[in-house]
Amino acid sequence: MIQVSKKGPLLKSGILPLLLMLSFTFFMFSCKTNSGNNADESKIDTILTGTVTAELTTAPNVPKPLTYTSPKRVMVQLETIEKVMPISDSSEYTFWTFGGHVPGNFIRVRQGDLVDFTLKNAPESKMSHSIDLHAVIGPGGGADATSTAPGQSTHFQFRALHPGLYVYHCATGPVPLHIANGMYGLILVEPQGGLPKVDREYYLMQGDFYTKGKYNAPGLQDFDETKALAENPDYVLFNGKVRSTTGPNALTAKVGETVRLFVGNGGPNLISSFHPIGQIFTKVYMEGGTEINRDVQTTLIPAGGAAIVEMKMQVPEVINLVDHSIFRAFNKGAIAQIKVAGAENPSIYEKLKK
Amino acid sequence: MTTIFFCAGNAQKKMAVSEMKMVAVPAGNYQPFFITPNNKPIPVPAFKMGETAVTNAEFLEFVKANPEWRRSKVNRLFADTNYLRHWKSDLSIGEANKKIYNSPVVNVSWFAAEAYCKWKNKKLPTIAQWELAAKAAPKNFKYKSLTDFILDWYTKPNPKVLPNVKSTYQNEYGLYDMNGLIWEWTFNFNSFIGSRDSRGNDEDELKNFCAGGALNVADKSDYAAFLRFSYRGSLKGNFCIANLGFRCVKN
Repeated sequence: MIQVSKKGPLLKSGILPLLLMLSFTFFMFSCKTNSGNNADESKIDTILTGTVTAELTTAPNVPKPLTYTSPKRVMVQLETIEKVMPISDSSEYTFWTFGGHVPGNFIRVRQGDLVDFTLKNAPESKMSHSIDLHAVIGPGGGADATSTAPGQSTHFQFRALHPGLYVYHCATGPVPLHIANGMYGLILVEPQGGLPKVDREYYLMQGDFYTKGKYNAPGLQDFDETKALAENPDYVLFNGKVRSTTGPNALTAKVGETVRLFVGNGGPNLISSFHPIGQIFTKVYMEGGTEINRDVQTTLIPAGGAAIVEMKMQVPEVINLVDHSIFRAFNKGAIAQIKVAGAENPSIYEKLKK
Repeated sequence: MTTIFFCAGNAQKKMAVSEMKMVAVPAGNYQPFFITPNNKPIPVPAFKMGETAVTNAEFLEFVKANPEWRRSKVNRLFADTNYLRHWKSDLSIGEANKKIYNSPVVNVSWFAAEAYCKWKNKKLPTIAQWELAAKAAPKNFKYKSLTDFILDWYTKPNPKVLPNVKSTYQNEYGLYDMNGLIWEWTFNFNSFIGSRDSRGNDEDELKNFCAGGALNVADKSDYAAFLRFSYRGSLKGNFCIANLGFRCVKN
């Protein structure tokens, strides 16, 4: 601040440029010493070798692992759609979405890719929308370039510099309302060389919802601003609906397989204590980054954050995936399931007779 | 010239569309939504505002009298390809669209709206005028609060057939449907923090990043106003949108 207020004389004497150079040099130096392999941009291959269109999927599905090994221009187009959908068996809600579902389409790119991003806002929309992708380094994570009126589209590009699992969300004011209405999703930036191969990959995203009526009250429910400000949700959900991923809609796996979950938390308010009942995470890419923790019972997923978790399926069971702030699972909907089929393995688990 | 021609040539048709009733809005002070050191409350002198938004039937008269504003002739710089797309043709709203003759005209650009008001010797309202007029308390209102009502409207998808004017509520100044029917153009829609320059200054960040901007707004819990300002901020003058219309003022 002092430098700025004395800008004139400092510039004249040439001290300011010197100071800037010094601090810049220091900054570069500190970066080099602190950065891990993946975060060092100088090691990223950035010469584009063609154009591809990103495969976009709807939860719980994940796009196939990328097969290309050098950076591409990746075309991505998302459409913002406002849509009445069931939030529970008896209640409906006017969701604001990326792609017509909550969470929004899963995007998968590779470190070094140049992402050519188009945001469309459906002509039927009542609102303007935009997108802030946490994978973007640039003004507003893209929000600066994407304020989009109904029926219009906007366009920008960004380099996927850092590998990891990132949340994207609408950043149009009031941001909390757009997020509370379901405007979030995940973008995965695969490291160069990809993630280790697993047998199955799934997409889950938690979010909290605030309605005028109570949990499961009949009919179309309006957003409740008072409850949202008090951070007191009626619903805490995986993939935007009570029982979106349980019973007949449960995820499936077989004994012997390794399952990878890409888990995000859109919030807007709550932090998730993500836990698999009857399982242990063999690997957690903590906060969706590059550090791996092993043998984890419960991992925290911040609002506006994500985690990649993996489990080895050992015995047949139904794994309940919950937010272990447990009233949310019992009373507000925060349960998803994996049904594991296969042969019993008494050496690992056996229910004994008296 | 066009006005004279219109009055003479279409006198009979004009009978069908009665003249818009202009309602008095008393002088007041408008507190800008985004607070910056330069954004002091704006004194707004008394003015008159259209009782309702301009309807399809009224806009048709304008288009008849001003051929350059016909759908097939309009300059793309002044109206995008959605201009009046809900009409049957240049000079017909369409028999099938009878229900919307008396509904607000939408799919009109800022330039078209401004030209209409000018033709009537009026203007588009400034943001200060519009916000001041819309702030008046509703009459015979069944909702808990105006903000509640607006949020309820904002969070419902556009209806298939846009209702007629005077179908929501009237406020104490006598204005109809200031909220709950359509969005409305304002004269200075993209300069709501006082700067004419729409890009590249510090103040501009407030409108683009409403998360950051939340620190600097008059009432952080006024989500309805937030939505209005975000909507206005995403517009360009030639945009024509299915839920965006206008009304005129006379100073």
